[in-house]
Amino acid sequence: MDRIPASNGHTNGNGLSSPIANGSSPLGNGVQKHGSSIARVSLPGSTLYDDSYIDRQEFVRLVIQSLRDVGYIESAATLEAESGYSLEAPEVSEFRQYILNASWGSAEALLVRLGVADEESLWEARFLIGQQKYLELLEARKTAAALQVLRNELAPLNVDPDQLHLLSSLMMSSDPEDLRRRAGWDGASGASRQQLLAELQRQSFYSSYFDAFPRVTTMILEVHADEVWNIAWSHNGEYLASASKDKTAIIWRIGSESEPSMRECAPELILRDHPYSVGCVAWSRDDAILLTSADHLIKMWDARSGICLRTLDAHSETVSALTWLPDGSGFISGGLDRKIILWDAEGKQRDSWGITAMRVTDLAVSPDFSRLVSVGMDYVAPTPPAHEFEHGHGRDTSPPISGSGNGASIANVPRSPENWMIIYDLASKQMESSIRLDGELTSIKISDDSRYALFNRSPDEIHLWDLAAGQLVRKLTGQRQEHNVIRSCFGGIDGNFIVSGSEDGNVYVWHRDSGSLLEVLSGHGEGSVNSVAWNPRNERMFASCSDDNTIRIWEVPPTDAFELSSGRADYSQLEPSGKGKGKVNQQWDGA
Amino acid sequence: MGMKYRRYLAGERVYGCATCRTHLATIHSMISRAFNGQHGRAYLFDGVVNIVEGEPNDRQMTTGKHTVRDIYCVKCGATLGWKYDRAYEGSQKYKEGKFILERNLLVDVQ
Ligand SMILES: [Zn+2]
Repeated sequence: MDRIPASNGHTNGNGLSSPIANGSSPLGNGVQKHGSSIARVSLPGSTLYDDSYIDRQEFVRLVIQSLRDVGYIESAATLEAESGYSLEAPEVSEFRQYILNASWGSAEALLVRLGVADEESLWEARFLIGQQKYLELLEARKTAAALQVLRNELAPLNVDPDQLHLLSSLMMSSDPEDLRRRAGWDGASGASRQQLLAELQRQSFYSSYFDAFPRVTTMILEVHADEVWNIAWSHNGEYLASASKDKTAIIWRIGSESEPSMRECAPELILRDHPYSVGCVAWSRDDAILLTSADHLIKMWDARSGICLRTLDAHSETVSALTWLPDGSGFISGGLDRKIILWDAEGKQRDSWGITAMRVTDLAVSPDFSRLVSVGMDYVAPTPPAHEFEHGHGRDTSPPISGSGNGASIANVPRSPENWMIIYDLASKQMESSIRLDGELTSIKISDDSRYALFNRSPDEIHLWDLAAGQLVRKLTGQRQEHNVIRSCFGGIDGNFIVSGSEDGNVYVWHRDSGSLLEVLSGHGEGSVNSVAWNPRNERMFASCSDDNTIRIWEVPPTDAFELSSGRADYSQLEPSGKGKGKVNQQWDGA
Repeated sequence: MGMKYRRYLAGERVYGCATCRTHLATIHSMISRAFNGQHGRAYLFDGVVNIVEGEPNDRQMTTGKHTVRDIYCVKCGATLGWKYDRAYEGSQKYKEGKFILERNLLVDVQ
């Protein structure tokens, strides 16, 4: 008899091998024995050292996160207590205390408030808590109370009959030691409550995560004759526009049928007549107009008929960004000619930022209409103001942008190191702040709540920036970016995932609030995955485009493939036992 | 492979494509003006940017046999000159890996 009714026996070591170490996972993480017993250290100022420019809070939070990631949960908790910088919502700490103090009723009551919303996760959490409660009562020789829990709390959960039987058989244990041995459980005074916490986090997060994460390719769109560089969803989520090196843009209809095999995914319109490769695509708010850019030209297309309405020729160098205003009244273009232009919805110039301080490589407008954020290169300080350099088209008299001094060979000249992010107040066009960064910046997105900016920074980094606080929140790493324009985006419920293309041909996915790398999705062929776009109407679908000439649509795996579709070791714990039906998420060793 | 923005050069003098003004080279990377191309005077450069290289082929030149590839403007596709892959004569080895741009196909962009 060495069946192990609790999954604790399967968690390795500290039971915290979850790739989601922390963050917004509803049940938090790990152990906090100290919590209240450690005095908070209060320090003057906000920097790490007196003469340092490192933000102390940001630094300490990164350390806490790192400690958690490797499993030093106690150290992280101690540091949290001493510093007062917590990574968790108060409810999460509260929940942890309830579990560690065996306040089972309070813990259960808190579950819904913690955001454990789906049936499966709630069931799982209630079962695990009920089981712990039952075992602790048995251990304390409170057999009658334990029996109550078994009958009134566990049995109504439709637990597998064999599992119930096994739990009830533990009543026959001769003493607490025998119980702990037979249950493979180390008792109320052991680590079992902490393991329960870890397991709760794992289970609740995993089931909601695996239910919701689109990690299976359901469609491959193959019509482009060359690399696909950019993609954008229509606002109604039914069309995808793609921009290709083959000098076309394609509007694909991605039907809304829930069954992928029933769905059509034919190219609805192929927009030709671009004299150059197409770099940007942008849908108007009502999806009636699609903008494309091909080198320095912007084209406005009737998205239903495919007729080219206008060609706009105000930029003298590559247009790198097209973004519609949140109210649909017009759009903004940015280019390597340093220009940022505001257009009305008919394609007439309405306003301009003039020649800005840098060659714009991307820009975005915050949904709340407050900010314009641009990233770019070849920054030149905007003073003196008289230097309004006009490039290209016959203005050879303008002074050099920057003297490169003596004759270094340009064969190996790196890109100018002057890469910046510039944040403008949208209404006044005034520069709000500017941040210099090493490495080329190739993509900028702003979260739906207008709080975060997300940009790719070569080499190999993505930065999540808090626009309100004006500081770096975290760096995401794993993907490869050295030479190419690679783009990333937010996605999922509340934008809690971050997805990026990569020069190694994979799609990378992170958990936004912890920075943990969740998925490396393979499937695309040779070359870079250049851009990704999350369906604005379907949080269970996103698209990626690649140098392999294709676009992939990624969706949530069908439920019948649920238990076999992941190679993740931890996930094996969620495999049904094969006994009974349905809700048996514990793995059982043979008798 | 992949999307790249064209590079922009800075300096006292920047040569660009006569057709589309794409930046190609600076005067600092010029090694010699004493070359002849198919359209007259040509310059030898240490490095150029924003070009696409064609397939290699052997050509007999006044200074001997060379393996060269034609080079084209990345934006408009205009032929601009060639790149030396290999010089068979020892005295010509210095040209290997260097680029010829024909003066008549260039324009000063800065
Ligand atoms: Zn050209």
